Amino acid sequence: MRRRRSAIVTRNLLAGAALGIAGTATAQQATPNFEGVWKIAAPTQTLQPVSGPVPFTAEGRKAYAANRSLRAAGKIDDYDITRSRCSNPGVARLALTPMRFKIWYRQGVVTFDYEWNRALRQINIDVPPQPDLMGQGLVPTMTGKSRGRWEGGTLVSVMEGASDRTLIDDLVPHGYDLKVTERYRLVDANTLENRITIEDPEYFTKPWDSVVTYKRQPDAIFAEDVCLDRILAKQPAFPK
Amino acid sequence: MASRFSSSIWRAGDVAAVILALTPALAFAQQAPDSPQAGGQLRLPPGATTGPLSGMPLGPVLTPAQKVVAALPPSAPGVLPPRPPLPKDAAMPPADPRDLQGTWVHNQPLLFRSQADMYGVAAPYTMAGAKVLERRVNSLKAGKPFINASAICRPPGPQWQRDLNFPFLIVQAKDHIEVIFEEYHGRWYISLDPLGAGLPAEKQYMGRSVGHWDGSTLVVETKDFKQAIWLDVDGTPLSADGTLIQRIRKVADAGQVPYMEIVTTIVDPTYYTAPWSIVRTFGWAPHQAVFAEYNCEEQVGDPSVNTDAGLVPEPAD
Repeated sequence: MRRRRSAIVTRNLLAGAALGIAGTATAQQATPNFEGVWKIAAPTQTLQPVSGPVPFTAEGRKAYAANRSLRAAGKIDDYDITRSRCSNPGVARLALTPMRFKIWYRQGVVTFDYEWNRALRQINIDVPPQPDLMGQGLVPTMTGKSRGRWEGGTLVSVMEGASDRTLIDDLVPHGYDLKVTERYRLVDANTLENRITIEDPEYFTKPWDSVVTYKRQPDAIFAEDVCLDRILAKQPAFPK
Repeated sequence: MASRFSSSIWRAGDVAAVILALTPALAFAQQAPDSPQAGGQLRLPPGATTGPLSGMPLGPVLTPAQKVVAALPPSAPGVLPPRPPLPKDAAMPPADPRDLQGTWVHNQPLLFRSQADMYGVAAPYTMAGAKVLERRVNSLKAGKPFINASAICRPPGPQWQRDLNFPFLIVQAKDHIEVIFEEYHGRWYISLDPLGAGLPAEKQYMGRSVGHWDGSTLVVETKDFKQAIWLDVDGTPLSADGTLIQRIRKVADAGQVPYMEIVTTIVDPTYYTAPWSIVRTFGWAPHQAVFAEYNCEEQVGDPSVNTDAGLVPEPAD
C-alpha cells in the first residue's frame, strides 16, 4: 500500500506569487507559435516509454505493484487523488489529459490552460523570482516549478519540486526527486510534439523518454469543466 | 479547511467594528485628471456610471429592507496582501485602449461585504435580499457559516474572482476574451461575437458573458448563472437570474502606470429594487505572471479529514 500521508496544506491568505520582472504584454516574438488550442492525438492513460519497459528500481517496482493492487481493490484514493478527488494531475500526467488545452505565451510565461477541470500549469521562461515572502516555495505542489528556455524552435522545460502525491500517468509512481524534462516542438503547423524525459533515481534506474503528440484544434470558448461535479454524479474524473 | 477563502477562514480574525465605506483607494479610482464632474462631489472618469440610478434611495432615508441590512454586524475590515512592487523596468500595458491583455491584480483592500454602492449609497435591497444577507451574516456570527461555492471548490462567480487580491491574466482574440485567474481554476470567457465565438449551451457557474466595445470601454453583460452566487465573502447575494454588467477600461494618467477599472452594475430584481454599481481597480502586474498553484480539490475530497471546516448548508429561500 502506498498511501501517502496527507499534509493539509492551507494556503495562506497573504501568499503571493512573488515573482519579478516580466516581459511584454503581447505574445513573445521570434519563437515558434505554440499558441492555440491543442488536443492529444492518441488518447491514452499510459505514458509509454519510447523503448522498453519503465526502468523501475526495486523501490519503484514495489510502489507500482502496490498501485496496481490498490486499483484492483478499488482503493483509488489510496494511490490516485486525481481520480478520486480531481486533484491536479501534475507533470507529466497533465500531458495525457484527454480534453483540449490552450497554450499562451505571454509576459515571459508559457501557460497551459486546460479544459479538464480548468487546470493550469505554467512554464516560467524569464520572469525572475522575487523573495518568497510567505514560504510557499517550501511546500511541494502538484505541478512543481517549471523553468523553460528556448533551444531554437524547441521549448525545453524542466519541472522539479513536485509533490509525490501525483503519478507519472495513471499508475506509475514517483518520489520528491522527480525531474521531468519536456521538449516541445512543432512537427508541422498543426502538430505539436512533447518529448518527455522522466528522472527519479529512487524509482527509476535511468532516465526514460516518452513522446506525446497533439493536434491543433479550432479556437473556442471552453465550457466550464468541473471535475468534482462529475465525482458527485458518480462519473469518472476523466470523461470518457 | 476547504478553501482558503471559505468564510471560516476570513472569519478567523475578529470582526472589527468598522462600517464598510468607500476607501480612499476607491475614491482615487474615480478621479482621473480629465474626467468631468459628476455625481456631486466625485470626479468620475469617462465611461463610469455617472450618478446614482433612478429609484435608488438617497441620504439617510432607508427602506425597511435597507434597515435590516444596516442593522447587521459590520463586516470585517478589508485587507490587502503585500505584493511585490512593480519593477521600474517592467513592460507597460499595451497602448491600445482596447487591448486589455496582461496580468492584473486587484489593488484595493478586499471588501468582505459591499453594503453600499460606489457613491456610498446603501445598496437597494429588497426584503428578500436583505433576509438572505442577514441570514448569512448571522451564520457567521453564530460560528456556523454557510457553504458557498468557494468552500466546495466550485467557480465562485466573476465578481468574487476579481475581488481577490490575486493575479489574473487577460488574453484576447478577435472574437473573445479569456480571463485566467490564479485562484479557483477561474476562467471568465467573454464572447465578443456570440455567433462566431459561441458560448456554452448550458448555464455556467461563472455565467455566460457577452461583451462589446463602447469607445475604450469593454462592456460585458454576464448572466445565465448555474446557481445563485455570492458577490463577496460575507454573502452579498445575486440570484441565478441576476445580471452583472461590467464596464472595463484602462485608465492612463499622465506619468502614471495605467491601471484597470471595472465598474460592475448589479441587476437583480429578486434581491434589489434597482440596479446598483460598485467599482474596483486593478494594478498592472506583469511581475506576477507566474501564478501560485491552486488545488483545492486535494483537500475538499480528502476522506480522511473533516473538510467541511464547520460550514453548514444554507437553507433554501
